[in-house]
Amino acid sequence: MSWKKTILIGGIQGEGIASTGVNLMKSLSGIGYFAYGERKFSSRIKGGNTYIMVTISDEPVTCVTSYIDIILTFDHETIQDNRHLLTEDGLILADEQLEIEDTEIISLPLTKLAKEHGSLLMKNTSAIGFLGKMLDIDKGVLEESIEKAYHRKGEKVVNENNQVLRAAYETRVEKLEMFKGLPPLEPKDKDLMMLIGNDAISLGALMAGCRFVAAYPITPASDIMEFMSRVLPEEEGVMIQAEDEIAAVTLCIGASYAGVRSMTATSGPGLTLMMEGLGLAGMTETPLVVVDAQRSGPSTGMPTRNEQSDLASLYFAGHGEFPMIILSPSTIEECCELTMEAFNLADQYQCPVVLLSDFNLSISPQTIPAIEYQQPVINRGFLATDQELKEDNADGFERYALTESGISPRVFPGTKGGIHKVTGLEHTVSGRPSDRKGNRVNMMNKRNRKLEALWDQNSVTIEEREGKILCLTFGSNWGVLETAVKEFALPIDIAHISRIKPLPVRQLETLFSRYHKMVVMEQNQRSQLAGIIKQEVGFNDKIVSLTKYDGEAFRTLEVAEQLKRWCSEWK
Amino acid sequence: MEMKDYSNGVHPTWCPGCGDFSVLRSIQLAAAHLGIPREKMAVISGIGCSGRLSGYMSTYGFHSVHGRSLPVAQSVKLSNKELTVVAAGGDGDAFAIGMSHTLHAIRRNVNITYLVMNNQVYGLTKGHTSPVSEIGLTTKSAPGGSKDEPIHPGLLALSAGVTFYAHGFSAEQEELVELIKAGIEHKGFSFINIFSPCVTYNKTNTYDWFRKHLVTCEKAGHHDLEDLTSAWKTLKATQGLVRGIIYQKSDVPTFEENHHLTNNTPMIELPLEPTKEQFNRWTERFRLDT
Repeated sequence: MSWKKTILIGGIQGEGIASTGVNLMKSLSGIGYFAYGERKFSSRIKGGNTYIMVTISDEPVTCVTSYIDIILTFDHETIQDNRHLLTEDGLILADEQLEIEDTEIISLPLTKLAKEHGSLLMKNTSAIGFLGKMLDIDKGVLEESIEKAYHRKGEKVVNENNQVLRAAYETRVEKLEMFKGLPPLEPKDKDLMMLIGNDAISLGALMAGCRFVAAYPITPASDIMEFMSRVLPEEEGVMIQAEDEIAAVTLCIGASYAGVRSMTATSGPGLTLMMEGLGLAGMTETPLVVVDAQRSGPSTGMPTRNEQSDLASLYFAGHGEFPMIILSPSTIEECCELTMEAFNLADQYQCPVVLLSDFNLSISPQTIPAIEYQQPVINRGFLATDQELKEDNADGFERYALTESGISPRVFPGTKGGIHKVTGLEHTVSGRPSDRKGNRVNMMNKRNRKLEALWDQNSVTIEEREGKILCLTFGSNWGVLETAVKEFALPIDIAHISRIKPLPVRQLETLFSRYHKMVVMEQNQRSQLAGIIKQEVGFNDKIVSLTKYDGEAFRTLEVAEQLKRWCSEWK
Repeated sequence: MEMKDYSNGVHPTWCPGCGDFSVLRSIQLAAAHLGIPREKMAVISGIGCSGRLSGYMSTYGFHSVHGRSLPVAQSVKLSNKELTVVAAGGDGDAFAIGMSHTLHAIRRNVNITYLVMNNQVYGLTKGHTSPVSEIGLTTKSAPGGSKDEPIHPGLLALSAGVTFYAHGFSAEQEELVELIKAGIEHKGFSFINIFSPCVTYNKTNTYDWFRKHLVTCEKAGHHDLEDLTSAWKTLKATQGLVRGIIYQKSDVPTFEENHHLTNNTPMIELPLEPTKEQFNRWTERFRLDT
């Protein structure tokens, strides 16, 4: 029987709360447990409440639970905000520094032990010590993780942290002894990884041969540029921190035009600036991969909160009309796989491909079965052959030749016989500006034709339970939906969509004929995905929206309750 | 190679007498003198009358978006170091909508050449004020005359750390050819601000006006090209109306050197398929001991 335990560690931002949680997750994952961490923080460096909620299980976890078993806190706000989520036998552990007089709250000498055996900052280590002991984790495991986390800071820091850890383990707190630790794991040969969606996206890009990244820092996408700035120099590639998102996307277009697979990553406000670049890539038929890790909008919105509200503006992106692909990963694994696919699709269809992630998918650490090495399939699309290039073409290679598929041969600058022009103006087959009516219609049709085949290709993955209702979602919601349906044994089928544009119209039509109702679950106010499906496919009377836009991820309980209500209503 | 080898025969859309004709010829002559194979040259332009330039070269050409020639040009060069990359645009591209790209391209010092065809007015939109329009210049958008202080490209470039800065003049084609050649051969970002008169919308800063006001560096008493103070003083003293190479410093590391992109293999030739060793290296930090 599978089980779950959830711990919430809270305190003042800037005091290492998140890394305490992440370190605990690493230790647990290191001995074979699965964990998922949801972070809440504010858009500031220090001060303000922050927490990390960690759900632990013997099976993969894709979202936090609706209830909390242990709250461990260094501040009052964490208690006020989360106390109501505590399970019946849940515990609140607070630093005794807070001087809380509440019989239900257990005071622990977190800061005191840190000061006595090391230094103030090590109060996080004493927190890990108490939690480790409660959870029945072998002390050696935690000592090892301390060694890993602090070895760069020197032996003294490691030793002091270990002293603090030991002191916490040795401190007897009667009320804690009632708490049952984590059930021991059956020994299994498990190869695990712990990473965030942004890491998986970066890995996917590297696997696809991406060697050029240009980006501008923005939450929650920055991890990608950070990761790439470490890795790319070792691979003879480069990460450029651009002056703004316009430069970032345009730098990527230049690299891609020159033949290097390139990528940029941003969030809503940056995406708005990148619209110009999406149009340029669309018009010049330059492959482009853009990651949009969505956050709460509009404008600066709530930069550190979850939302999926960029979809509509992306779906109808830019002025004018041009082909574009939107992929939406729903799991960490898909973040990697779909990023690899994004590069192939961009090259095959010579258009922008946007990988649509969201806050929780992008930055929530998660334990997963290790991603294995597989030789990736690299498809660079239609490249001009030497034969086509053999003539010493002074200028006039037909880069935009009118073909049946709409896809024309690409050639990279530097290639003899391939000289042509590229312009954001409407242009002829060899890229020369033209505003003649006939040419315009031919070119518009040619570009639009490129993606025609994709409308017929499936992109909805369904988990069937023989239900009459299908709940369709995307992004981080999927982990919540999957968990909710399983935990509450709901009689509905569930699905996630991995390519939103072009929408899999044929597949959706089939689904509408099969299901009584389709619930579209998304994190925005105006039911953006549902609206797009209604526009492209119809079946308005079968579509019902399940939305949330308060900045917090969907919770399994609220999802299950709503779906249950609908199930009985639609019998 | 001759000048005509670099022309694709398309007749420019420019007004007769436009300074941009001379800039186009000068680039073609510079390329011919340097013997750059046509396919190894990429001209990246912005938007405006000047932006059309890339369409008249029989080299690779990318006519980008207003103000964005530099982001495209920099990454084309970084992707394929074997290319000679020339970015071209107007004063609107360089000093208004693309101002930030200009400054950051200077800071980065990627080994490309940037030609600004500066006519102090927006020609293609049919006569609007530019950020380098002189105070008092009457335009459709400033019927009472431009009132804002014009940008001083030279002072701006020097303070951003430019490693090659020159002024050319469309009517001095021979000199312009030499400036472009020197710019292309400079190791790092070379910035050439070219006075390229608009014969239709700027009746103040005409060919005659420039002939009257422009002086050579020599005449201005500026002899040491590596002397930043002298370059600054000369630009101040002449109000920017000086021509020739104004500043050049060759020992500044380029972006490519700073980012260790000095391997002989151009980035476009790197293998795409990752090896298992690479995969293991990239995933090491995610792995957990079981």
